[in-house]
Parts: sequence; structure tokens; C-alpha cells
Amino acid sequence: MKQSMNRVFWLVVLLFLILIGYLGKITLVDSKTTVTNSYNPRLNQSDSQIVRGRILDRDGAVLAETVDGVRVYPYARACAHLTGYLGVGKTGMEAAGHFVMETVHNEIFQRAAGLLTKEKPQGNDVVLTIDVDLQQKAYDLLGGNTGAVVMMEPSTGKILAMVSKPDFDPATVAADWDTLRLEEDGPLLNRAVQGRYPPGSTFKIVTALAAMRYLPDYETWTYECTGTMDVTNKTIHCFNETAHGTVTMDQAMAVSCNCYFAALAMEIGPQKLRMTADGLGFNQNIPFLLGNTFASFAADASSTESALVETAIGQGQTLVTPLYMAMLASAVANDGIMMKPYLQDHVQYESGTTGSQMLPESFDTVMTAKEADRLTQMMVAVVEEGTAKAARNDGYSIAAKTGTAENPEGDAHAWGIAFAPAEEPQVALAIVLEHAGNGSGAVPMAAKLIDAALSDE
Amino acid sequence: MFELFLLLSRYLFLFYILYFLWQAGVVLREEVGKSYQDPDRALFKQRVAVVLMHYTGFLLLSYEQDRFSFSLPALALGLGGVVFLLVGFFVTEKIYRNSDSLLWNCFFFLLDVSLIMLERLNHGMAVKQLIWMSLGLAVALLMPLVLRLLPWLEKMKYVYLSLGLALILCTLFFGNEEFGSVNWIYIGNFSFQPSEIVKFLFVFYLAAEFRGFVGLRQIGIATGYAGVLVLLLVFQKDLGGALIFFMTFMLVLYMATSNMPIFFGGMGLASIAAYLAYRWFPHVQVRVAAWQNPWADIDAGGYQIAQSLFAIGTGGFLGSGLMRGMPKSIPVVEKDFIFAAICEELGVVFGMCMILIFLVIFLRGMKIALKSGTRFHSLVAAGVVTMLAFQTFLILGGTMKLIPLTGVTLPFVSYGGSSVVVSILMLGLLQWIGKYHGLETEEDEDL
Repeated sequence: MKQSMNRVFWLVVLLFLILIGYLGKITLVDSKTTVTNSYNPRLNQSDSQIVRGRILDRDGAVLAETVDGVRVYPYARACAHLTGYLGVGKTGMEAAGHFVMETVHNEIFQRAAGLLTKEKPQGNDVVLTIDVDLQQKAYDLLGGNTGAVVMMEPSTGKILAMVSKPDFDPATVAADWDTLRLEEDGPLLNRAVQGRYPPGSTFKIVTALAAMRYLPDYETWTYECTGTMDVTNKTIHCFNETAHGTVTMDQAMAVSCNCYFAALAMEIGPQKLRMTADGLGFNQNIPFLLGNTFASFAADASSTESALVETAIGQGQTLVTPLYMAMLASAVANDGIMMKPYLQDHVQYESGTTGSQMLPESFDTVMTAKEADRLTQMMVAVVEEGTAKAARNDGYSIAAKTGTAENPEGDAHAWGIAFAPAEEPQVALAIVLEHAGNGSGAVPMAAKLIDAALSDE
Repeated sequence: MFELFLLLSRYLFLFYILYFLWQAGVVLREEVGKSYQDPDRALFKQRVAVVLMHYTGFLLLSYEQDRFSFSLPALALGLGGVVFLLVGFFVTEKIYRNSDSLLWNCFFFLLDVSLIMLERLNHGMAVKQLIWMSLGLAVALLMPLVLRLLPWLEKMKYVYLSLGLALILCTLFFGNEEFGSVNWIYIGNFSFQPSEIVKFLFVFYLAAEFRGFVGLRQIGIATGYAGVLVLLLVFQKDLGGALIFFMTFMLVLYMATSNMPIFFGGMGLASIAAYLAYRWFPHVQVRVAAWQNPWADIDAGGYQIAQSLFAIGTGGFLGSGLMRGMPKSIPVVEKDFIFAAICEELGVVFGMCMILIFLVIFLRGMKIALKSGTRFHSLVAAGVVTMLAFQTFLILGGTMKLIPLTGVTLPFVSYGGSSVVVSILMLGLLQWIGKYHGLETEEDEDL
């Protein structure tokens, strides 16, 4: 009996050590992401005895700071969705970085010193990966359009710019709350992360990848495009019903031939297309500091022919977010490794020293380097000879894909995803212009933004 | 300025508990011969730590920042607490001699943390809790006198069995639902949980049934009784209680028979039963869903556990400091979720140390069980430790989302007359066995 009692005691010890360990885990690891949930009432606790920390861009430009007890936003609307607001609840970095900014480094020392100097201790600053000049440029170029721009560094996942329109003035959110809340086009929504749109022709990259994997003779596979194609219960049209003639994949991608890709999809089948999409991060919760992003793909083995071909050209029930498309472009740019997107680079203490340095992390390896290479070639052709000719320049080659996404609410959305320079990409982006009509609308914007990003280096 | 004190107090509280544990280590090492330090000095230092912690807590809690004065009710309770501690220390050391002092000290430490936290949360509850604590301790100390009058404790197994059944059936027919389980009985203004009394009866029954040869007959009857109890509790939606009774039965059976196959067999059956419960009972499904993903249902089923995690996570390892957190955002924080409040304000490291203190209590309890003179007393002690330990594990695990919530309280710390009095009486029972029924005394006593 003694032996069994001893054993039971050790069982108790084990259980309690597990408790201690798990407690440590939820505090050390999980708490950072869980506590910024809007249901945590402590988010509304602001310490009036300290000065809330600032939100800075990667070079130290101030995006948000507290002056004489009032929160000011030097870049106001341009960075509205990045900073978020406070006052009526909290969003954006004001929420995600709340506890960091309300914490004073070496608190006891600072407070004690504060008693002597009569100055309030300073909360920690949050330094973002954003380049505010790029951000401002993206904001200006987006102009009166509704939509979003996301710019990323493919090798690291750093978000260089993230704009969503319509926007708002973070400084006056509390005052304008009633009007803002009820505005039909939802200015408070961060379209970059949560706006869900059909991808349109930008999805052809996925279809092409599926062909590369599951169609052994894809290099030589051709299709004769007559401008339209009939399948059960549906007719596919190419833009303006242009007959592209006999095209290979590169050619079809360059001119965005719908009929080609519809036929290709029928050859590959819905299951393989689904597998490819799932492998690229579709139907997965992608964690991001300002809210999770999600791309949904619904086709599967039970899909009808018409659903399949629609999906292949980026219509149907597929929905993507601009952030996701930027990640996809970055993956192609980064030899097939999709990096986790991140916005907060590090925390800066009052003394100037840094802490909590974020390191780039891979989200998943979504394709082989060879596949990425091949797709890059196709996307370069889109710029050299195809629908994105307007972006051509003498200095470097850009890889891109345009998209015109039909949608039930009105005119088609214009998509543009791109990265450059094609050989050694330093920046990737995704632009969506709601109801702008033709996809080529996004191209000049993309070119200018890439230019700005690359000349910065 | 006061904010500074509150921030500094986090380090003080951490110091008190770490020092307390260190001294516990001294006592333990001395017992196994690995140290020659005086254990009595270590025990004394522990008591000093408890009293200092009490002073620190209550001085901070009673200070009213805006008025630059102290709140009289809070100070009064603080004083009452000090009296309780000092009298408690004196009586347990000088009058209830040769009992396990380390066990008493850990017990007082936890009670004091409870008082401090309850005063922070709700002064009225803190006062009631102190009254319950005092009553409980008084009864526990008088227990030897009472038990001495009851001969043949180990032979009354059918009394325990029938009384236990009767009480549980009582709640079945007359019970009122509270917090989701129907196991409270109201007599006028006064409420109590009969299942808490049945806990003692059950442990005594098992010890009585297994005190001699444990054959098929004994196992059969015991299983039948345990099964009926567990089913009745499940029926009354007291899942936590059912689990505690079940585990205690399995573990005591194992300890009495040293039979592993039976234990694993029983656990296997339990897993099947648990799965069936999940399939059949909606209230089980709600609990499991809330455990798996509280964020998805954060408005309803997941609200409590989400708030608990917010509290623990925001407080962090060092805690936010007494009164600087928002523990009241957690529903039922004074009872089931008091640990989350402690972790939020006093720190997760403090919480971890509290878990260690619980472990020391169970260690001492097991030691008493191992050193008992008769099998009966040994099994009673082991049963009590098992029950307390498993209950503690259930609620701590539920609070931190390690396991689904089961609606039990944290022994010694949670608010509640039934909870704290039963915990104290269980401890008293352990001390009684340790003092009066150890190996040395068994030769003299007839019991």
C-alpha cells in the first residue's frame, strides 16, 4: 500500500507541475495575442499618471503621440487604419500596442524619478515596419478610390505600407462617431486586412500553379481561343470577346485569356485546384497583428463545371483580402516561401534602447523555387507584352498580374499585384480599387509605388 | 506616491511567498537529514512572513488615496485577521501539540491570501469569510474531543453509506439550482451543500470498507455505492463533484489494492462515460466548447474563461499590483476564479508559488497517511488528500483553460462557507490522524 500511495503522490506532483508549466506558457507565450482582444476591459484602462507611448514608423516618424493629454496624429487620415483610434473603444495599433504603450520601462525607477522632476514617466514607443513616405504616397495615389493598398517586403514579411479607403480622422473619431458608424461605405473597416473581394484574373496564378503541378505537359499545352467558350450552363468570355488565337500558358497569362484558363481548369479538375489553393494558404486563419486575415476558396470535387471555370478565372465564390494577395505575390517573389506578415518591428524604451525585436518568420513554403521562377517569368511577360504594359520601364523588370473582378454590387473591381525587381525582389504589393472597372486602372499606381519604394533604397 | 507603493508591493508579496517557501524547504530538508538548521526557527520565520504579508496587504487596502486616511472597516478586518492568525498560531503550536506545524503554516498562508484578496474584492465577503474561518478552525481543533467520543469509527461503514445516500437524495428532491448545479439546500436564510458533508462520509466509508482484506465483495459494494453517488451528482449537473468523487474512489481503491489493472480499467470506463456525457448532455457540450475556443463564443459560454485569461495575461509574471487590475470583470471571481484575480494583481509567479504551497500541503498529508498506525486511518488520510488535491487541480486547470470548467472551488482560498469550512475540517482531520493515529501512538491507543 505504501508504494501505491507514493505513486499517487507522484501523480499529484506531476499534475501540479503541469499546472505550473501551463500557467507559465499562457503568460509567456499566449498572453501577447489574447490580451489585446476588444473584450478585455483593461484596454480601456489608461494610466493618467504616465504619458502614453507613441507609434512610430521605421525611421522614427511619429504617427501618434500624446501632447498635453491629447492624442494627436500627425499623418491623420493617411495612417488612420494603422494607428486606429482610441476614445470610443480601441482599434489598430492603439489596441494592439495598448499594453506596450501604457507600460513604462523600469517603471519603479521612472516613477520615483518622476516624483522629483515633476515630469510624468513616458510609456514605451511602438516602432512599426511602415515607411511613412511610402504610406503617404500610396494614400495620395489611391485618391478618391475606395479600396486598399498593401506593400510588403517579400523576404521578411514586413509591411511597408497599408492604406484603406474610405478613411477617417483618428483624432476626431469620438466626436464623429455617430456619422462614422452609419456611413454606408464603412470608413472604419480596414479593407486591407478584412476587405474580401473576388480576386478576378489575379487568381490565374493559382490556376497556373495547379497546371504546373498536375499537368505534366503544361509547357506545350495550348488552347485555341475564339473569344468565348461554352460549358454546361455558362459561357466564358475573354475581355471584349477578343479572340486570342492559339496560346500557350505564358501568352495566356500575359493577355489574361479567360478561355484558356477555363479550359485548363477543366483539364486539371476541381480537386487538384482545391489542393493547390489550400497549399497556398487559402481557407486558413492567417494571424496578423491588426486582425486575422482569411482567403476563402470553395470549389471542390462536388463543384459543377460552371463553378469550376468561374473559380479558375477568379470569380465564383472565391474571396481574398488585399493582405493575402500581397502575401501571395511575396511568396512568388521569395522563391516560394510565404513569410508571416508583420507590422510591429520593435519596442523602443524612453532611454532609446530597443526591446521585443520581431524577427521574420516563415508562414509556410507554398511552392518550389522552380515553380516560383516559372510564375515570375509569366508575370514579367504580363508587364512586357501583356495587360500591364503601362508599368514597363527601362531600369528594372516588374512582375505583375492584373485582375478585373466581376461582382454583384456594381462595376468590376480592379486588381493589381506585383513585385520588383523581378530578379531580386525587394517589394511586393497588392492593390484593389473597388468598382473601378478595368483592371488596368491599378497598373500605373503600382508602377509609381514600386518606383517610390525602390528609389528609397 | 501611493501608486509607487502599490507597484513596490508586488515585490514585497513575491518576497513573502518565496521566503515562506524557502523556509518550508529548510524544514523539509531537516526532516530528511540533509540539514542541521533548527526547524522551529524556520517555522517561526514562516509565521512572521504570513503576519507581515497580512499587514502589508491590509495597510495598502485600507488606505484611501483621495482622503489621505484609512478606512475603518478595512482596518478592523485587518485587526481581526491578525488576531485570528496569532491565536491560530498559538493554539496550533502550543495546545494542539505535536501536530504538523508546516502543514498549519501553509494552511494559514493560504487563508491569509484569501482574506487579503477578498477584502480587495468585497469587504462584506471578506468579513463573512473570516467568521467562517474562525468557526471552521474552532471546530477542527475540537475535532479530537468529538472523535474520541465516537468509538469504532472504522466499523461504521453502513452508517456512512446510508447517510451519504440520504443526503444526496435529499438534494435531488429538495434541492435548488445555483450556478448550474442542483446541490444546494436552503433552510430559511441559510444555505449549504450536502455534497460537501458527503465528501467526509464517502472517505470514511471507503476507508472502512477497505480497511481489511479487499476482495471482490468489498470492491463490488464500494463500486456500486460510488457509482450511484457519481450518477446522482451527474444527474444534478454537479459535474465537478462527480469527477472528484470518482477520482477519489479510483485512487483510494488503487492505494488499497495496489492493483494497477483495476485502476486503468476504471479510467478506461470513465473515458467512455465522459465521452457519452459529452454526446448526451448539452451542458457538458457548452463547457467543452467554451474550453476549446472561448473566443468564438466570447459573449456567452466563453466569457468567463476569456476574462480569466485576460486577467492572468495582462497581469503578467509580476502582476499589476494590488488594486491596479480589474479582477471584477471576471464573473464569480470571489469563488471559482479567485486564482485568476490573485495572478492578475499579485503576479503569476506568486500564483505558481501558491501552487507549490498546495503541493506542500498534499505532501504533508501523504506523509501523515504513510505514517498512520492503522490501515483505516491511513486510507482516510490518503482519501482526504486525494480529494483536496484533485479538487484543487480541477479548479486551477479550469481557470487557466488547461481543462474545461467544472464549477468547483479552490480549497482554503475561494469565498464560501461550505468551501472553506470543509477545507479546514479536512485539514483538521489530517492533523488529527497525524497526531493521534501515527505509528507510535497506535500501540497505546485502542481506537
